This record gives sequence, C-alpha cells and structure tokens, in this order.
Amino acid sequence: MEKINCREAADRLQDYLRQELTPELEAEMKAHIERCRPCFRSAQFERNFLIMLETRAGRECCPDKLRVRILDLIRAEARRG
Amino acid sequence: MAEASTAIRSFDQEALPHLDALYRVALRLTADPTLAEDLVQDTMLKAYRSWHQYRPGTNAKGWLLTILRNTFINDYRRRKIEPVAMDLEAAEPHAIFRSAEVDDPEGSFFSKIVDEKVTEAVEALPPDFREVLVLSDIEGMRYAEIAEAIGVPVGTVKSRLFRARRLLQAALYAHAVEMGYIKPREK
Repeated sequence: MEKINCREAADRLQDYLRQELTPELEAEMKAHIERCRPCFRSAQFERNFLIMLETRAGRECCPDKLRVRILDLIRAEARRG
Repeated sequence: MAEASTAIRSFDQEALPHLDALYRVALRLTADPTLAEDLVQDTMLKAYRSWHQYRPGTNAKGWLLTILRNTFINDYRRRKIEPVAMDLEAAEPHAIFRSAEVDDPEGSFFSKIVDEKVTEAVEALPPDFREVLVLSDIEGMRYAEIAEAIGVPVGTVKSRLFRARRLLQAALYAHAVEMGYIKPREK
C-alpha cells in the first residue's frame, strides 16, 4: 500500500533532491518514485536541472591575482598586529 | 607576535580554502567581476580582523558567507547596477516540466544553453531569491546553514528556493525556445 500520493510527492520533491528529508520520509518518497512514472520523470527533470546549474555556475575560481592580493593584505595586517 | 602567527595559521587553514566559493557567490550577488573582487577582499579582511570571534572547527564557510552577505548589503547594494530584473508576473511559473515533458522530458535543452546565459539568468533573479538559490544549489549549503547565514527561518529559505528555481527554469526555458533548442508547447 502506497504511503504517499502524487500530490504529496510533488510537495516533497525539493526537500528530497536536497537530501533534507528524514530517513523515513525519504524512503516513502523513493518508494513512490519507483512505482510512479510521472513522478519519476518529474524528479529526473528537476535533478538534471540541478546538475546543469551546479556544473555551469559552480566552477569559477577566485582569480590568482586576487588570491595573492588578499594574502598580502592579511600578512600586512598580521604584522601590524 | 606568537599569537598573530597562530591566528594567521588557523586563518590560512580554515578560511582560505573557501575563497573560490566566496568569489562565486560575490560574482552572482554583484553581477560584476570588479565589484566581486572588492567584495571578496573586504570580506576576507573583515574576517581576519574578527577571526578571534570564530570558533575553530565550526562552519567556516557559513561564517565567511555571513560576513560577505552583510558587507554586500551594507556597502555594495547601493553601488551595484541592478540587472534588468525579470518580470515576476510573466515568469510566475507553473512547473516548466509540464511544458517540456512531451518534447524533452529529461530537460536536455538545459545542457544546450551556454554558461553565460545560465549565469546571466541567475543574476537576473530578484536578490532575495538569487541569494538562496546560489547558496543552496550552487554552493551546496543546507537549509539550516542558509537560514543562519541570512537570518531567516528555514521555511522562508525553502519557499524562496522553490520560487527561485521556478523563475530560473522559466527564464531558461524561454531562452531555449527563442534559440530553437526546444519547440514551444502548442497552446
């Protein structure tokens, strides 16, 4: 017997993808998604969106010249005491 | 002097590894590389000066991001040229999945969009939504950490994140339709 319906699954999707559900709720959600194709597809779509976002916008690094400038400033600050 | 060198050592170990994350968040908040550099520099100096208030081994990233955010709000928001804010009404969104599910149920159109368009769309989000989305979905912070860093309840973090994702998806979907990466849904 299903513990949650599609409506509840949709409400929990965001927390599920961020791994913020309690183990019990997460298990219910997993069980629902495994059996329900529309919810599975919607979860997959959201997951792909999040992967895209993280890989596109999460790769930039602090420029070296800024890193050096900050290190110099902090060393100077430390010497001043 | 011995104290100063201990402080600098722990600062090097705990604070410096987060420079990349601070820079990325600064870029998204300011939407301007020069301002982002200034913001990161100001943040790190302030952090060093108040390093004695940081408890070693706690969440350094969250602590630094709180300083970055407060500095941004107090000193930068006024200086910053807001990007053209998105039309909240037009983007008041149903789930984009519903529009895309027939032609592209896996959302592969997202991967055709160039990096610059993605970051532009993030930067066009209203500031409160943008901040939560960046901390959560780009920097991987948990709800509770974000709530603490920005001083709102967890429920607010969740609802802002929900709106932010919908808005961002709607903007990217509109762009993908315009570029022909995906067919618009028949009305």
